[in-house]
Amino acid sequence: MILSVLGGVALVLGTAYGWTARDHRDAELAALTDRLAQVEARSASLSEQAAQVSELEAKLSELEAALVAAQEEAEAARQAALAPTPVIESPAESEPEEDTVVAVADGLEFGDPEQGKAVFGQCSFCHKIGQGAQDGIGPHLNGIFGRRAGAHEGFKYSEDMSMMGADGLTWNLETLNAYLENPKALVSRTRMNFAGLEEEQDRADILAYLRQFSASPQNIPEAAPTAQAREVELPDDILAIVGDTDYGEYLSSECKTCHQQDGTDEGIPSITQWPTEDFVIAMHAYKQKLRPHPVMQMMAGRLSAEEIAALAAYFGNLD
Amino acid sequence: MKLNRREFVGTGVAAASTLAAPIVHAAGHGKPKVVVVGGGAGGATAARYIAKDSEGEIDVTLIEPSRSYYTCFFSNLYIGGFRELDSIEHSYGTLAAEYGINVVHDWATGVDRDAKTVALAGGGSVPYDRLVLSPGIDFVEGSVAGWDLNAQNAMPHAYKGGSQTELLKAQIEAMPEGGTFVMVAPPNPYRCPPGPYERISMVAHVLNTSNPTAKIIIADPKESFSKQALFEEGWQKHYGGMITRIGPDFGGGNVTVDPAAMTVDIDGETVNADVVNVIPAQKAGHICDAAGLTEGNWAPVVPQTMQSRMDENIHILGDATNQGDMPKSGYSANSQAKVAAMAVRGALTGSRVFPAKFSNTCWSLIETNDGVKVGATYEATDEKIAKVDGFVSQTGEDAALRKATYEESIGWYEGITTDMFG
Repeated sequence: MILSVLGGVALVLGTAYGWTARDHRDAELAALTDRLAQVEARSASLSEQAAQVSELEAKLSELEAALVAAQEEAEAARQAALAPTPVIESPAESEPEEDTVVAVADGLEFGDPEQGKAVFGQCSFCHKIGQGAQDGIGPHLNGIFGRRAGAHEGFKYSEDMSMMGADGLTWNLETLNAYLENPKALVSRTRMNFAGLEEEQDRADILAYLRQFSASPQNIPEAAPTAQAREVELPDDILAIVGDTDYGEYLSSECKTCHQQDGTDEGIPSITQWPTEDFVIAMHAYKQKLRPHPVMQMMAGRLSAEEIAALAAYFGNLD
Repeated sequence: MKLNRREFVGTGVAAASTLAAPIVHAAGHGKPKVVVVGGGAGGATAARYIAKDSEGEIDVTLIEPSRSYYTCFFSNLYIGGFRELDSIEHSYGTLAAEYGINVVHDWATGVDRDAKTVALAGGGSVPYDRLVLSPGIDFVEGSVAGWDLNAQNAMPHAYKGGSQTELLKAQIEAMPEGGTFVMVAPPNPYRCPPGPYERISMVAHVLNTSNPTAKIIIADPKESFSKQALFEEGWQKHYGGMITRIGPDFGGGNVTVDPAAMTVDIDGETVNADVVNVIPAQKAGHICDAAGLTEGNWAPVVPQTMQSRMDENIHILGDATNQGDMPKSGYSANSQAKVAAMAVRGALTGSRVFPAKFSNTCWSLIETNDGVKVGATYEATDEKIAKVDGFVSQTGEDAALRKATYEESIGWYEGITTDMFG
């Protein structure tokens, strides 16, 4: 194709200038000679490129083989980490970076811890996790894998949760998966006000996230606990108000038309035994209309900071 | 409100707090005595809170004729098939056993305000230092031409829980194919403002599946009604064409019924009906009138304490009262009962008294998982219980929110009945 185009150009040039036949042949010869040189040069270049391509292809195969090996190694490391006796190994080294879903016993799976961190957002108002995490409305979740249900010292569990623990319920992948899917199906009168995570993938992801904070201290990243920024910024003097429990008891009678004292929470959450600061922050979030529920916005809307503190003091210490 | 000489004038917050100095009325006859008449949302709550919070310092007697109490709230859900009858039935066993309340199953027929005693239909009388009346409603005689209490089996009101509700449900289920249900709706003010319209929704829900060619007619003397936009949107969406409301512009307030012939005359047009639900105009339960505590149809009260304007030793709760802006509802009665309980304890034992706070929320079910609500908060002024803030569900809300609202109402039912009966 290139050759025929070049020939065509030479022919057109010859005709246009009205050269003699000899001139024309000489010119044609010269042109052909030039063209031969060009073709030879190009051929050499192509050969060189072909060699480079082969070389690159070989390198690529090598790299792919290395990658497969690395994945297999990582998988083995992760399986080892899931074994009952954890291998002491930093997750950063052992975890591959892909969103791999790793199958374990009973068909249950750990998902993606990064996704799980996002799903955990809805739990984090009540449950803290990570270095320095403290109990809040719910117990902190460091070391939840392998922990006996209702047995974390210093936290006041529902009667049912304590009983399940006493009966031998221990948190592992299987039991946590069942509890997260439908908390009340596993522990009928748990105080945890959560309907459950319907999506299997969400549960797999969140369990992968929780797993990072369990089993061996080396597995706990040096990150700050999930004590995220407060929902509402409250001046210290508001948080410092010491609630009048008697007044709180009277005010609580209004709450108890809907919120049951014993922690029952069908359709309406339990507010019994919330830590006072969490209670105060939640009520101010309703008062400032940051939380959306219209009944609660209305109820909190007409409570003063002292009245909110009184309620927090009363409910926080309720049996 | 115009006050006359014999009316007791409210004392307000400042004066109420002086009650912290004990004013013990019990001298000479042991512990102070509180008698509560009526075991519904107002009375049961008041009895329980006074007994619970006084920790045995006050003797509490509850007078209530029924051994089994059927809540009016959620009775529409029973009609619609969403609740079993026994799920809205409650007994007074816990109030007696756990709270030490003396529960007397009898009718209170009158009050001797000078002797401070309540007369019982079964004979005898019960003395009190403070009396709490929470008698609910009675019907205004002659308010629906052609209807009186003798006709309540042919044309049930079903506006007091229990057998009337069962009767109405049975009649709806026995309607012939393509039959006609007529409701005669009440004029304001009446118990449970959205109640008649939630009931219409529940009747339509039943007929829509079992008898889809049936018709529902509402003869209504009111221009407008509670949650009207929400109900009308829902009726159109779920039961299109089944429900016709005849408002006052078209003679909905000009109704005569004939219980023998089962006809309803609406502004000169005679309707042959298969079921007629007559909800008459209402007034305070009879004992308020008998005790001389009413003005017109209702009993006026002091907002800060729920004391009768006529007698400072008597507190009146719930539907029977004229208090201001609160609707007549079980939630309101429960809310008022807690304020009254605090005032009664303050007066009799010197316990601390705080400013009154009131609230109300009414949930209604329009169709399966389609719940709506309206609510408000209230405070006591010298003149009345005054609305502070409120909200109402919006038209066009998504299905998930409506379902959550319905589920919330179930939680509320469990909450308030626990608050009433322990």
